[in-house]
Amino acid sequence: MKKQKFGSTIVFIILILFLICYLSPLILVIFGSFKSYSEIMTNVLSIPQKLTFGNFSTVFSSMNYPKSFLNTLIVTVIGVTGIVILGSLAGYKLSRVKTKYSYLIFLFCIMPMIIPFQSFMITLVKVSKQLGLIGNLYGLGIIYWGLGAPLSIFLYHGFVKSIPHELEECAMLDGCSPLRLFVSIIFPMLKPVTASVIVINAMWIWNDFLLPLLIIGSSGDNNTLQLAAYGFMGQYKMEWQNIMAGAILIIIPALVIYMIFQKNIVKGMVTGAVKG
Amino acid sequence: MDRALKKKISHALEFAGFTLPAVCMIFLFVGIPFIMCIYYSFRKWNGIQKGSTFIGLQNYIRAFTNDTTFGNSISYTLIYAVLVVILINVLAILFSVLLEQSKIHGKGFFRAAFYIPNIISLIIIGFIWKFIYSRAFDSLHAATGANVFAWSWLGDPKLAVISTVLVTVWQALGFYMLIYIAGLQSVPDDLLEAATIDGAGKLRQFFSITLPMIMPSVTVCTFYSIANSLKMFEMIFSLTGGGPGSATTSVALDIYNTAFNSNQYGYGSSKSVILFAMVAIITVIQVTISKGKEQEA
Repeated sequence: MKKQKFGSTIVFIILILFLICYLSPLILVIFGSFKSYSEIMTNVLSIPQKLTFGNFSTVFSSMNYPKSFLNTLIVTVIGVTGIVILGSLAGYKLSRVKTKYSYLIFLFCIMPMIIPFQSFMITLVKVSKQLGLIGNLYGLGIIYWGLGAPLSIFLYHGFVKSIPHELEECAMLDGCSPLRLFVSIIFPMLKPVTASVIVINAMWIWNDFLLPLLIIGSSGDNNTLQLAAYGFMGQYKMEWQNIMAGAILIIIPALVIYMIFQKNIVKGMVTGAVKG
Repeated sequence: MDRALKKKISHALEFAGFTLPAVCMIFLFVGIPFIMCIYYSFRKWNGIQKGSTFIGLQNYIRAFTNDTTFGNSISYTLIYAVLVVILINVLAILFSVLLEQSKIHGKGFFRAAFYIPNIISLIIIGFIWKFIYSRAFDSLHAATGANVFAWSWLGDPKLAVISTVLVTVWQALGFYMLIYIAGLQSVPDDLLEAATIDGAGKLRQFFSITLPMIMPSVTVCTFYSIANSLKMFEMIFSLTGGGPGSATTSVALDIYNTAFNSNQYGYGSSKSVILFAMVAIITVIQVTISKGKEQEA
């Protein structure tokens, strides 16, 4: 027993040491964000001499943070809401109806999961242009519906299998309409998957760069946070103290989403992953 | 008869009502663009003018015979993917086992801490590491005198490849650990205890019990790591920009450059189709192999 305790203390120490090394780049980012230009150029590794928020305010205004934040929020909310609605409706029905056609449609729906985004992005831009979605935040959010639906259909489809039929049959006998049945009985039962679908897609859309770059481009007013980050990081080039402060401003919202939904992220990723 | 037909129609309508919205969106934003991409891969199209002309297989022939950048990008992507897949899975299994099969406190804390880099966008990750490889390594060299930190991690073509691999492993490790930990939690404790009583060492236990039991997680993690590394774009875009030269230009980045920087949309489309074929072939092979392994185990 004693030996075992000793062993686990060693493992604990190894893991802690490794974790410190592992997260040290991020610690340097935090240090760097408080330093002045001359300080960061002379000493990267030390703790900042004093706590100044100058870099943050420089970056805050130069990347038009509130506006970019709001834009990203709009896109994420539109995207995630659509993905949840489309995914739950289709995933539920495709799982319940067990015909050949239903299965074929299910296959069609999840097929995009193995098509890399880069292998249809060129023509996606052309399609979006024709639909008038270029440079449009709402358009960007809607495009995410098509890109995000496959994974969420897959997750809902798997979960619905584990829900018993009886409840639906009773409701049907009572004369409940299919949509009403879905909204008031089925959807609430899908809550665990919905939470996972929300967090997976919110993190993805919030952090996505390539699609916004293609759809919004560098039209200043509609910048998302990631686009703004790329813009000002190019503009400041070697002024690392500003870049680090910007990085932190962009990481914080994602960190908050992660902290709130932490439990679901684990569950969702894992069930989704292991069932696949 | 009439009633049965009516019921059938109403069922079909109901089915359509639930599934059509999603099907339409997927078709509109993935299906149509993907089909168009195949169509344009046989055509010369600059994206600016309206028209395009049919040129048969010329785009494909050019990609494979007369485009060193694309050739390099394929070999870079494959080397990068192999290194990332091996390193990530070995390290993730190692740390998950250390974490899960020991009796330490604060497992949840470690899991969450390892996951942090994963919530940062890849664009930012690229910038952070550009800073680490240049400024932080300079300071570390000055402080410790160790030569490793004086190497040109982003300037030397070969080393730059390794740099991109390391950053990817660093960023994604926590995600793969989550999947392995979930797999490990399904390994029954009494099996391991029985093995200990029978005198099996830790290493033997791992290879004879733990590893076969977590094969489903291995399948999933190799699948994810292969698919993600074959389409790597953003981190490279901000870390190296594909350089030095084209040493770290991935296929995805090359497609982007071909289409949006040199306006060769038709040619870029054919490269896109090649990327899809690469991902499809490799993942199908991988899934077949590991499903077979799972059944053996």
